[in-house]
Amino acid sequence: MTDPKTCFAGLDIGSTMTKVVIVGGGQETSLIGPTGPEHRKLANRVMEEALRRAGIALGDVTYIVATGYGRINVPFADRQVTEITCHAKGLFSLLPAAHTVVDIGGQDSKGIRIENGKVVDFVMNDKCAAGTGRFLEIIAEALGVALDQLGERSLAAEKPAVIGNMCTVFAEQEVISQLANGEPVNNLIAGIHQAIAARVYALVRKLKIKPDIAITGGGAKNIGLVKALESMFGSPVLVPREPLLTGALGAALIGREMYEKAARSGAPLATRARVLGEAKLFNN
Amino acid sequence: MTTYTLGIDAGSSFAKAVVMQDGKLRAFAAIPSGGNYAEAARKVSMEALEKAALSNADLSTTVATGYGAATVDFADRTLPDISCHAAGGCHFFPSARTVIDIGSQFCRAIKMDGDGRATNFIMNEKCAGGSGKFLQVIARILHMSVEDIGPLSMEAKSPVEFTTGCAVFAESEAVSRIAEGASPADILAGVHKAMSAKIANLTIRLGLARDCAVTGGGAKDIGLIRTLETELGVELLVPEEPRISAAIGAALLGTNQPWTVTTVTHS
Repeated sequence: MTDPKTCFAGLDIGSTMTKVVIVGGGQETSLIGPTGPEHRKLANRVMEEALRRAGIALGDVTYIVATGYGRINVPFADRQVTEITCHAKGLFSLLPAAHTVVDIGGQDSKGIRIENGKVVDFVMNDKCAAGTGRFLEIIAEALGVALDQLGERSLAAEKPAVIGNMCTVFAEQEVISQLANGEPVNNLIAGIHQAIAARVYALVRKLKIKPDIAITGGGAKNIGLVKALESMFGSPVLVPREPLLTGALGAALIGREMYEKAARSGAPLATRARVLGEAKLFNN
Repeated sequence: MTTYTLGIDAGSSFAKAVVMQDGKLRAFAAIPSGGNYAEAARKVSMEALEKAALSNADLSTTVATGYGAATVDFADRTLPDISCHAAGGCHFFPSARTVIDIGSQFCRAIKMDGDGRATNFIMNEKCAGGSGKFLQVIARILHMSVEDIGPLSMEAKSPVEFTTGCAVFAESEAVSRIAEGASPADILAGVHKAMSAKIANLTIRLGLARDCAVTGGGAKDIGLIRTLETELGVELLVPEEPRISAAIGAALLGTNQPWTVTTVTHS
């Protein structure tokens, strides 16, 4: 049973998935749900379900930190922190040896350099779908293969297909026409993983990469992509047990740190009214 | 003696054919390429000949250009698409010194001299953001045909500001904005702005020389043309049938026939 006296929630509202981690009383509860097309309106539902599973009431959560691209205007969050900071914090607690994080999210990819859990530098692509989870989704759909099957299938490839196009739209067409020309599906999937790995590597190498390298985000759940990244980086990479939760965990831990610091200084943190309402889309 | 030439543009999305009679347009046809460029080229050529009331035997030469030109085995020769776009653009508008071609896959900007020869060009083949494919993607989620995009976009009241020029991200952003209540017209106008920014960027990198003509399927979208005009700050010339420009160029260059202006439509 989580100690309701001090428990902290991290809410990571990503472009595709909403993640919640609740830590406290030596226990950790987490939940992953879709962000949905209606933006972050579902964040309160994911939060509600996570609280139900943790067996605690919203009013008993000590501090709530929201992160991710949908973090603004969440009515029940006490504070917003950028996903870069949360990622670094979360990863440091999971894999302290990691100094470079490669996060492959639903609609972005980023590289973060970490020292002692703090962000030293970062690079990010959220302008182009190439090198992001969206690229994988689109190709998986075009090939009629479930997203969670891509990794396994690509490992069975005889020879990765060469995908010449970087743009997701063009690569989709290319994959369809190569398929029509008889290229085996597994080879195409392996080729797509190599294309993404190349794109992500080109982004992340702008940082001074320092080992160990860790992969997080939905992309890290794809073993084929992880292998492709390993060969691109020329070194093994670490993957946390639940790579999707890194940012939410970091948010919860940052909340705990802030609370403890404030408690020590004798000036307790202000919290907002605990209302599980929908996030507003605009400031007004 | 009258000379007839056949020009074929085997594009990635549409196959176009024109029959030129002594350097003037006599007939044209356009059909979707499907998967088979050679077959589409054959079909569209037959259709153009039929419209011209001519047969193969009447042709002095057949010239192919475009993405699938190499597969057109019945052509006497093939020509680079950039040269054909320049020649075609100059045929429509002798005053044009820049041609922007907005095709389904590629967007090109071509600079040319007064004789319709390409002197420089720039092309975006890496990103669908400035291509007709972007329009197709958005048309699909709005359940409408690409042809209706232009007129509907003109009814926009407050165009959606897309945070991205990526066609894939714009698609998800459009879905979110529709859920928030944005009208299809505002979405489309926003897409035109995003596309125009990319196309204008390309054109300005090349150097915009006036007059400027726009060809390709994208030029049929009046909303895109108007937005691009605002972005570039110049009036754009659009031929009545902008898709057949390269096919005309191919036919003209294939015969070295000095051309005369057949259609001039100032849009």
